[in-house]
This record gives sequence, C-alpha cells and structure tokens, in this order.
Amino acid sequence: MIFKNTKKNGIKITGNGDIKQGASLLELALLLVLFFTNSTPILWGLITSLKTRREILVYPPRFINFTFSWEHYQNVFDNGLGLGMRNSLLYAGCTIVLGLILGLLAAYGFERYSFPLKKILFYIVIAGIPLSIGSAAMLIPNYLYMMNLGLTNKWYTLILLYTAYNLPMAIWIMKGGIEAIPLEIEDAARIDGCSRAYIITRLIPRLCLPSIASSALFLFIGAWNEFITAAVMIDSPNLRSIQLVIYYFRGFFGTDWGGLMASAMVAVLPILLVFSVLGKLMVSGLTQGAVKG
Amino acid sequence: MNVKKLLHNYLGFLLTLPGMLLIIMILVVPLFSTLYSSFFKLDHLQNGGYVGSANYASLFSDPAIWYSFGITILITVASAGISMVLGLIFALWIDRRTGMVAYLIQLIGLLPWVISMMVGTVLWRWILNGDTGLLNYFLRSLGFSPIIIFESKTASVVTLIIVMAWRTIGYSMVMILAGLKGVDNGLLEAARVDGANTWQVLTHIKLPLIKTPILLSTIVLTMSNFNNNTVPLILTGGGPGTATNVISLELYRMGFTYYKFGQASALSVLVFLVNIVFVVLYVRMIKYDI
Repeated sequence: MIFKNTKKNGIKITGNGDIKQGASLLELALLLVLFFTNSTPILWGLITSLKTRREILVYPPRFINFTFSWEHYQNVFDNGLGLGMRNSLLYAGCTIVLGLILGLLAAYGFERYSFPLKKILFYIVIAGIPLSIGSAAMLIPNYLYMMNLGLTNKWYTLILLYTAYNLPMAIWIMKGGIEAIPLEIEDAARIDGCSRAYIITRLIPRLCLPSIASSALFLFIGAWNEFITAAVMIDSPNLRSIQLVIYYFRGFFGTDWGGLMASAMVAVLPILLVFSVLGKLMVSGLTQGAVKG
Repeated sequence: MNVKKLLHNYLGFLLTLPGMLLIIMILVVPLFSTLYSSFFKLDHLQNGGYVGSANYASLFSDPAIWYSFGITILITVASAGISMVLGLIFALWIDRRTGMVAYLIQLIGLLPWVISMMVGTVLWRWILNGDTGLLNYFLRSLGFSPIIIFESKTASVVTLIIVMAWRTIGYSMVMILAGLKGVDNGLLEAARVDGANTWQVLTHIKLPLIKTPILLSTIVLTMSNFNNNTVPLILTGGGPGTATNVISLELYRMGFTYYKFGQASALSVLVFLVNIVFVVLYVRMIKYDI
C-alpha cells in the first residue's frame, strides 16, 4: 500500500509541469546579477587592456568607442610576461605529470589494498585537502623548511610544493574513479595473463579517464594560479611564475593599469579555455564526497 | 598464504609510499619543525638561541595581533556567510532548471573561483580604483556621490568582505546544488501532499538533507578566507592604516618584511591551531569508505 503510494507520487512528480515553469522576473534578475558581477571584472579588464595609454585615464570611461591598441600586450611581453608564462607552463606541466603518477599509484593502493597504517595515511590525505586550500598557516613552515634544505629558488621548488599541495585532492578524486571500476574486470584481466604492473599502469588509467582528467584540471589550476608561495620561495627573476610577474608589474609600472590588465588577461586565458571545455569535470571533482554515492 | 598476504600488504603500502612521502615531507613535517623554531629567536634566519615561550608572550601582549585576529574573524565569517546564503539561494533556483542553462549558470558562477586570486583581485582593484574608477562612474551615473574606497576604513573592510564572498559564491552554489540533486523528489512530493508549504519543505526536508554539502563548503570557505593572503595583499595591502591587516598579512609581514621568523613561527602555530579545528571537522564530515 505504502509502496504503491510513493510510486504514484513518483510518477506524478515527473509529469509535474509547474516545477519547470518559465523564468520569473526575479529569476531573470538573479541571472543578470550573477552574469554581471562575475563577468564585468574580466570584460572591463579586457577593454582597458586594449585601450591606448591616454584613453584609459579618460573620464567618463569609454566602453566601445575607443582606439584599439595592442601596445600594452607588446609592453608586458617585452618586460618578462613571456618568461613568466613559460615558467608557469613548466611548473604546471610537471605538477600535472608528477601529481597524476603519484596520485594514481596512491589512489590505487588506498582503494584496492589494505595495509598497516592505511587509515592514518588516508586521514592525512583528507586533512590535506582543506589544509592546502589556504596556505597562510603553511607559508612560514614551508619557507623555513625549504630554506633549511636549500630547496628554495630552484626550478623544481614550486613543482614540489604545488604537487604536494594538490596531491591530496588528486588522490581523493582518482580514488573515487577507481572505486567505480568493478573488481571483476581486474580479475578477468589477471586470468587473461595481464601482469599487475600492466593493470595499474595501462588498464586502470584507461578505465578511470574522467577522474584522471579531473585531477589534472585541479593540478593545473592549482599550479597556474598560485601566488603567495611563489612570492616567498622564488627570488630569481628568471624563475618567476606568471602570477609573480603580474605582481611585480604593479610596482614596476606604477599606475600603468593597461599593462596590469593586459598581463591579467594573458594569465586568465588558459584557465578560461581549460575551464570552458572541462568545467563539468571540475564540478564533479569539487562535489565528490559532499554527497553520498 | 601468509607470505602472499604479506606481499599483498606490502604492495598497497608501496604504491601509496611515494605520494605519501611527498605529502608528509611538505605538509606535515614543516609544521613540527615550525613548532620547534617558535621557541627560538630567529631574526633574519639567524639562530638567536632558545627563548622559551617569549615569542608567544610577545604575540599575546601585542594589541595589534589581537586586532588582527578580530578583523580576520569578522571578515572571514562575514564573507563566508554572504557566500553561503547567496550560494544557497542560487542553488535552490538552479535546481529547478535542467540541461544547458543550469550548466552554464554553474560555469558562470564558478568563474571567480577558477581565475587566480591575483587576477581577480587586480581586476577589482581597477574597478574600485580612486575617484574615477568604473564603480564611481556608475555611482555618479546613478546620482550617488563617489566614494574613494581605499581611503576609508569601513569601506575597505566591506570591500574586502565582498570581494572574498564574490570569489566563493560559485563554490558554495555548486556544492549545495550537488546536494539538492541527490534529494529524493518523492519525499518532497509526499510533504506537499501532506500540506507542507514551500518554506516548510525547504526548512524541514531540503535543508536537513543537504546538511553535509552545506557544512563542508562552510568549512572550506572559512579556511580559504581565514588563510587568504593574496586578496588582502593586492586589494588593500592591509590599509588604510592597519584597518584590514588580517592575520595572514601580519604573518607575511612578520616573516618577509621584518624577518622575525621566531615570532612568525609562533604566529603560524596559532593560525594552524585555528585551522586544525576546521580540518578535523572536515575529515569527520566528508563521506568516504576506507
């Protein structure tokens, strides 16, 4: 009787038209506000970066009818933005590779085996996720530590740090991916004569590709966007990451907002490209563990 | 059998070892070495000898540190609160939509979270800049008097709160939305049949069912805002005066402007103690099997 009731309700709700009604005025306003507040800074930055030096300071500001100019982009690339980009690509690339390799192995180990200390090690992984989100507490500890080991201001300094910061998230996401692969597939592969090495390095990665891509996305964003650790760890101008280059532009150019906006646009472009293509993976990665399932 | 089992155990451990070593070396060990160095005088990284709890004593007796903690808590709680409330409203609204529109809204919402704090803050700094920025242009167009934000203490604090909340609304929205998607529709319909109105359905059924994502995102946002030094550094630089000198900035200055690394270590330990509360809550809230 009860069962029948709930089933009936279930049918009723799927056929219920008024749940997906047309947008109300309030909803439209909300959407506009969201779109406006989230895109205005970027659009305004883009417009500013394409104006001539003089026109940036014109008041009232011009939104469309300005003289188009690449001068700020020319200027920032002449002053080290290209180098910053190359460094950041290196840092992000190595962070992705190292993070995926270490993360996949650890995720597989955590998911498929039981071993001593497993629980406490996994607690450290989970604790590492929120801990490395905001790193004020880690800033001085990591600086003193890396300083003692003589590991600051090297080409691999930031790669090591960024991998460590983002590895807990990568392990967490990939563990979820491996969890969804039925054990029977691995058993079948083993019966067919596949080695354990083959299963871990070839079969499993192919079967949990979305979670690998999602981890790669988090590793990339984490490495590309990070600023304060780079500011502390890197002295040499040749090793500056792109965010660091932008920071030094502030002082270097004084009030040259055009240059600052141009470099900000260059820094944000790869993120926007990757995010617009892989946004879905980002959402699934963020919400993993927040809901049962 | 026994040997095989041992090998089995050994393999799992071995697989996790490289990654765990890196995590422990960079996220765990430094915390203990900082606890150790917080008992030393360490100006300009020169070991000035063991000073006992003097670093802590000097922190506790400094009213600037207390102010800094206070303003940090205010900014953290206010921005996380705004972000959670707006995130909840947006999530409840998108939950009624499906397909491309809902997905696009999520992407637009997450935009400030994925662009770097440096870029996001620099962009806002330009909009809010001086007397002739975009904000003041809009204010003048609407007939209000312009405001020079970064010369006013209150305006600076409020702006910092708003920019931090702006960064994170999309995050709380996406987290809460994921929770709402998991709510059984039959349950909601049953409540409606029993005569519950929209508000009652929300407060008695939906909210309790999405408790986990709400708490998890509150924890993450609180930690993210509490520890954030990039946004305050770029937006206000702690000013005017020390009005927005949040604890993460104080920490940064103590270390990298004044080179008092002993005191900075002690302050790091205090900041970490605040963090560990949230980390423990996070570990207890998140759902996983091990």
